[in-house]
Amino acid sequence: MVIDKNMKILVVDDFATMRKVIRNLLKQVGYNNITEAEDGVVALRILKSQKVDFIISDWNMPNMSGIEFLKAVRVDNELSGLPFLMVTAEALKENVVQAVKAGVSNYIVKPFTAEVLNEKIEKIIDKI
Amino acid sequence: MKYDSLIKSIDGIASDFLFLDGREIDVPAAGEFLNRLDGLIKEAEALETDRLKRVASGLSNLLEKIVLERIEDEEAGFAAFEKGITLMQEIGDSLKNTGGYEGDIESFMESIAVLTGEQRAISSEVIAEEQLPVEESAEISQQEPQAPETVDETQDESLLRDFIIEGLEYIDEIEVNLLNLEQDPENPDCVNAIFRPFHSIKGVAGFLNLETIQGIAHILESLLDSVRNNRLSVSSPLIDIILDGADALKAMIVKLKNEMEGKPTEPLEIDLAALRRRIKSVEQGTPDTVEVKKLGEMLVEDGAITEENLDQGLESAQQSIPPKKIGEALMSEGKVTPKQVSQALRKQKEQVADTAVIRVDIKKLDDLIDTVGELVITQSMIKQNSFILSNSDIRLSRDVSRLTTITSELQRTSASLRMVPIKQTFQRMSRLVRDLSRDAGKQVGVVTEGEDTEMDRNMVEEMYNPLVHMVRNAVDHGIDSSEARIKAGKPEKGMVKLRAFHRGGNIVIEISDDGRGLDKDVILKKAVEKGLVNRSDDLSDHDIYKLIFLPGFSTAAKVTDISGRGVGMDVVKQAVEKLRGKIEIDSVVDKGSTFALNFPLTMAIIQGLIVKVGSEKYIIPITAIRQLSRPVKESYNNIVGRGEAINVMGKILPLVRLYKIFDIKPDHTNPWEAIVVVVEGEHGAKCLLVDEVLDEEEVVIKSLGEGLKNAKGISGGAIMGDGNVGLILDVEGLFELSGRLG
Repeated sequence: MVIDKNMKILVVDDFATMRKVIRNLLKQVGYNNITEAEDGVVALRILKSQKVDFIISDWNMPNMSGIEFLKAVRVDNELSGLPFLMVTAEALKENVVQAVKAGVSNYIVKPFTAEVLNEKIEKIIDKI
Repeated sequence: MKYDSLIKSIDGIASDFLFLDGREIDVPAAGEFLNRLDGLIKEAEALETDRLKRVASGLSNLLEKIVLERIEDEEAGFAAFEKGITLMQEIGDSLKNTGGYEGDIESFMESIAVLTGEQRAISSEVIAEEQLPVEESAEISQQEPQAPETVDETQDESLLRDFIIEGLEYIDEIEVNLLNLEQDPENPDCVNAIFRPFHSIKGVAGFLNLETIQGIAHILESLLDSVRNNRLSVSSPLIDIILDGADALKAMIVKLKNEMEGKPTEPLEIDLAALRRRIKSVEQGTPDTVEVKKLGEMLVEDGAITEENLDQGLESAQQSIPPKKIGEALMSEGKVTPKQVSQALRKQKEQVADTAVIRVDIKKLDDLIDTVGELVITQSMIKQNSFILSNSDIRLSRDVSRLTTITSELQRTSASLRMVPIKQTFQRMSRLVRDLSRDAGKQVGVVTEGEDTEMDRNMVEEMYNPLVHMVRNAVDHGIDSSEARIKAGKPEKGMVKLRAFHRGGNIVIEISDDGRGLDKDVILKKAVEKGLVNRSDDLSDHDIYKLIFLPGFSTAAKVTDISGRGVGMDVVKQAVEKLRGKIEIDSVVDKGSTFALNFPLTMAIIQGLIVKVGSEKYIIPITAIRQLSRPVKESYNNIVGRGEAINVMGKILPLVRLYKIFDIKPDHTNPWEAIVVVVEGEHGAKCLLVDEVLDEEEVVIKSLGEGLKNAKGISGGAIMGDGNVGLILDVEGLFELSGRLG
C-alpha cells in the first residue's frame, strides 16, 4: 500500500516541546499535515470535529492518559479503526501489554529517531 | 455440554491464527490473541482444567514476549505459538470425548520456558537492567564530577529553547505540588502531578541528547513510580531528595539557558554522584551513607599538598599498573610523608565512626521508651517501699540509690533517641515562605535560628500543620505590601524569622515577621461584631491578641489563595494544646508580630503536683499552676449571679470545687480549712479546691484508652510512686465543667 504522506496525523502529548520534537521528526520523513492536542480530552474533541488519519499519543498525560484515550477511541464506532501509535518511555511490560490488549496498533519507545518512527508508521499502514 | 464454550474459545483462537497474514504476529493481532487467551484462562480455571490453563498461560506469556521484542528467534516464537494452539485443540477434543486429558504438556511448556527465558532469569535481568543505568552514570559522574550539559551544534536550537522554558515551568510546578504532597501524602493525584513533569522532562531530554538531565529525571521518576506503586511511602527524606533533585535539574537547565544566551557560565556546584547515592539510599530505605571525605581532599585541607599535587597524584595513581592508591602515589612522588598519610587515614576512620547511623523502626523506639517509663515507675515504687525505707542494710540502700541513678540516665538516653533536630522542618518552612511570597507577589526573605534544637519526633509531625498555617499567616497577613513598607521606612523586602530554643524545660518555636503587626482596634471591633466580647470589657493588649484564637474569628479582609480558607487560628491553638503547648503573641504596630509556641520537651513525662481530694489523688501539671494558698475566711465570697470566688492577692478568682465535679466525698468543704491551687487557663485563672497537697513528682503519662479519651477534665492517668493510679487533670476541661455546674 502506498502511504499518503499527506495524511493527517494527530500528535497528543502534554509537553509542548515533545509535540514539537515529534512534529520535527515527522517532517524529516515527509509528513507535513500534523495537528496537536495536549491531552486525551482535547484529542477526542479534535477527532470529533475533523478527519484524522493517524494518531500518535503519549502515555503519561493529565486529565486523560494515553491508555484511557486509546480505549475511548476503540469503543467509538466512528473512530475505532484509526491507527494508533503509543509513545512510551520504557518498554515497560505492564504498560505495553495493557496497550496491546486495548488494541493499540503499535508502540514506540522514547527516545526514537525519525527512521524508527517512519518504520513504525509504515508497518501499521501496511497492515490496513 | 460442559466444555462447549471452552472449545468454541479455542476454535476462535485457532481460526484467527489461520487467517494471519504471513508467519508473523503483529501488534493488533497479538492484542486480539491476548484478550482471547485471557478469556480462555478464566474459563479453564472455572472448569478446573489445569493443563489447558497452563498451556494458555504459557502462550499468553510467549505472546507478551513477542510483543516486547524479547524473543530473538521470531520464527521459533511463531512456531511455538502454532504448536500451542494445536495442543489446546487436542486437549479440547479429549475433554469433549473423554472428559479429561492425560497427554503430556511438559515438553511443550519447557520449550516455551526456553524461548521466553526462565521466570527467575527474567526477573533478575529486569532488576539488573534497572540498576545498571544508575551504576553506570554514577561511575561516569565520578570521573567527571560535574558532568555539565553543554550546548552543541547538533541540537535544534528552537527545540532547546522551548525545552528550557517549559522545563523550568514544570520544575516550578513540581515544587508547588511537593508541598501539596507533603500535606496529603496518600493522594495519588499529588504523586502523579510530580511524576508526570519529571517524566516529560526525561522524555524530551532524551531527544535532545541531554544525558545528565535525562538521567536525573529518570531516577527521580523511578523514585516517584515506587511511591505510586506503594513500594515507598512519602517521608521527609523522600520529599527533601526530590526537592534537591528538582533543584539540580533546575540549575542544569538554567545553565543551559545561560549558555544559549552566550552568558558566561560557571561550573555547576552540584554533586550529582552524591545525589544519585542519596536517591538510591532513600529508594532502598537505608539511611544516607555517611559522606566520607576522600583521603586526597583531607591532605589538601591539612595543607600537606596543593590541589595541583593532588590532581597530578591522582593521574599517576591511575596510570600506574596495577593502579596505586592515592596515598601511595603521593608518597612515591615524595609529595607527602608517610606520617601525613597515616594521620589523614586515621582521621578518615574517625569520621566514619563518628557518624555511623542505624535505622530503627519508630514503633520499636516507642515501645522501648514506654517500657523505660514502666521501669522508672517500678523503680520509684521500690524506692518508696516501706521495707526499703526502713531497712538498715547499707548495701541495699546503696544499690537502690544506684538503681535510681541508672534508671534516670536510661530514661534520659531513651527519650533522646526520639529527638530530631528541627532543621528539616525549618527548611521546609523556608521553602514554603518562598513559594507563598511568590504567589502573593511579595518579597519575603527567611532567617532561621537554632536549627539544631532537638525535639521529639512525634511532636515534630503533630506540629507541622500548625506551623504551616502560621507561616502562611505571617506571609499573607503579617508582611505588608512593598509600598506600605517603603512608606513606613522599612526595607522593601519583608523578613520572616523562624527560631527554636530551649527555655526552662520547654522548647520554644517562634515565628516572627517584620510586617504591619496585629491591629488591636480591628480585632476588637470584629470580636464585638461577632459577639465574642463586650465593648465595655476591660481587655489588655494580650487579651485582645488572644481573641484571634476564638473559633470563627478571621480578620482577613479578603480571602486569598494563601490563607483565609476557613481554617483559623483556633485550629492552630487546638493542635498546640494537644501537645500540651501554649501560644504567646507579641506584636508592635508597624514593627511586626511574634508568635511563640511553647512545648514541653517530651510528651511522655510531666512534672505534676499530687493533690488529694477525699480518698482520691489527682495530678495537676506544674506548668498550669500559678500558686498555692490557704485562704482566710474573709477572702471567700459568694457573689450572686457570678458564683463562688476567692480573693487571691487582690484578684477575685472563681472557685472550682473538685469534689463536686468528680462527685466524691471531701474531707473539707470550707475553703479556709482546705487548700486552693490557683491554676491558669486560657481565659484567666481559677482556684481549685483540694484537701491536701502531697508531693511534686515526675510522672509518665498513660492514655486512658479509647473509651475515656474524650472524658472532660482529665487528660490521662499515671502510676505514681506508691503504685497507685492518679488521674491527670486537664485545666481547660475542668473550667468548662465548672462553668456548666455553676
